Amino acid sequence: MNIEVDQGKCVGAGQCVLAADDVFDQRDDDGLVDLLNAHPPAERLADVRHAAAVCPASAIAVSE
Amino acid sequence: MSIDAERLKLPLARPNVLDLAPLYEVLRREAPIAPVTTPAGDPAWLVTRFEEVRLLLGDKRFGRSHPEPDKASRISTSAVQDGPTGEYATEEADHTRMRRLLTPAFSAKRMRMLGDNMEELVDACIDQLIAEHERTGVVDLHHGLAFPLPVAMICRLLGVPQEDNEKFASLSERMAGTEIGEDAHKAREEFFGYMVGLVESKRGALGEDVISDLVRAQAEDPSFDYVQMVRLCVGLLFAGHETTVNRIGLGVLFLLTERSRWDALVADPDGRVDAVVEEVMRLGAPGDLGLLRYAREDVDLAGVTIHAGDALVLSINAANRDVSVYTDAEEFNPDRPERTHLGFGHGAHFCIGASLARTELRVVFAALAKRLPEMRLAKELDQLQVRATLTGGVAELPVTWRSA
Repeated sequence: MNIEVDQGKCVGAGQCVLAADDVFDQRDDDGLVDLLNAHPPAERLADVRHAAAVCPASAIAVSE
Repeated sequence: MSIDAERLKLPLARPNVLDLAPLYEVLRREAPIAPVTTPAGDPAWLVTRFEEVRLLLGDKRFGRSHPEPDKASRISTSAVQDGPTGEYATEEADHTRMRRLLTPAFSAKRMRMLGDNMEELVDACIDQLIAEHERTGVVDLHHGLAFPLPVAMICRLLGVPQEDNEKFASLSERMAGTEIGEDAHKAREEFFGYMVGLVESKRGALGEDVISDLVRAQAEDPSFDYVQMVRLCVGLLFAGHETTVNRIGLGVLFLLTERSRWDALVADPDGRVDAVVEEVMRLGAPGDLGLLRYAREDVDLAGVTIHAGDALVLSINAANRDVSVYTDAEEFNPDRPERTHLGFGHGAHFCIGASLARTELRVVFAALAKRLPEMRLAKELDQLQVRATLTGGVAELPVTWRSA
């Protein structure tokens, strides 16, 4: 799995952190997305896809 | 049913506080962007389908400001989301700056860290309700839990004295009032005055709270207008309690009006509460209008031409019950496969307090299911007093767990 995040689009909603906090975090200074793991194991795919789907800014791209 | 014979007048009357007008289903199918007359008597577009509501919320061709605010359609006589807000020329930059300032304070991680504290607060509220119930047999969950928890949390985050809660709750209620005419705008001015007093009293001793952060930021940035800063503080205090208080009420009603829903949560509170909260966020339909936007340019969409300056009412309530997105859309079903909704909005204006609200709702519903499993409504749904405000909800939530 490969994940890309776009901090230019991110609005800091934190939805991805709630969906998969082992993969996404928010930076302390501005609250924008911090990608902890760009290549998580395949079993995390469902949560990561959910994170991408609920992102209000469509700032997360996932490819298998 | 024909819906284009005459312009619809908002709000569309609803059968009760949980259900929506059946006409929304017809609108989604036949006129997903329909010309309507707002409660204030002005023309607007009502958007009801999930696809268009989501698209419009994420589209920069639509904003909250208007180039000629005096000529813009007004939505209601309430003083919240009643018309355009912000400067047309600088709207996006102003909004981005505001989000940058506020986002860290409301981050998912920080809100989760508040969870333990919320649990203690909720437990204390429930202890008190249990003691009262022993004496009276019926207690009001609205005044005993739904109101005090969000108020305590937002006071702490913003740095507002909790003893002011009656004052700002009453100002909020009037400000969002839809049936009190000009008094809503008078309340907004009073709220502004209250906030100026608070801001100035804090200025000498700024602390670790959001209002202090905003005072600091405004003092350092000449382009950050003082009035804008105070309005933002008012908005945060208003939205930080009003919305969650209502949502707790609606959630309790969804759960208790159909016993099997409540029993399912009681059987496994920790395992089921997250899904229950998401379903409460999807189906709970506070207020009768929606989110307000103004077109910044002409846009052709869903068979209509929206002109620059036109007002649009985006019905989150209707979008979240769209049968083209949700199976058995009107059913309360936390196990549904569809896991997304627009209950917190979408796009650049996505609710900044979403993680706070989710944490509060999870703590409340898990604690209620664990500690008051026998709880039931002490009044019929139709007899509950509904609030005449933009944000809707109920003014009372009488419950009992006496053996019948």
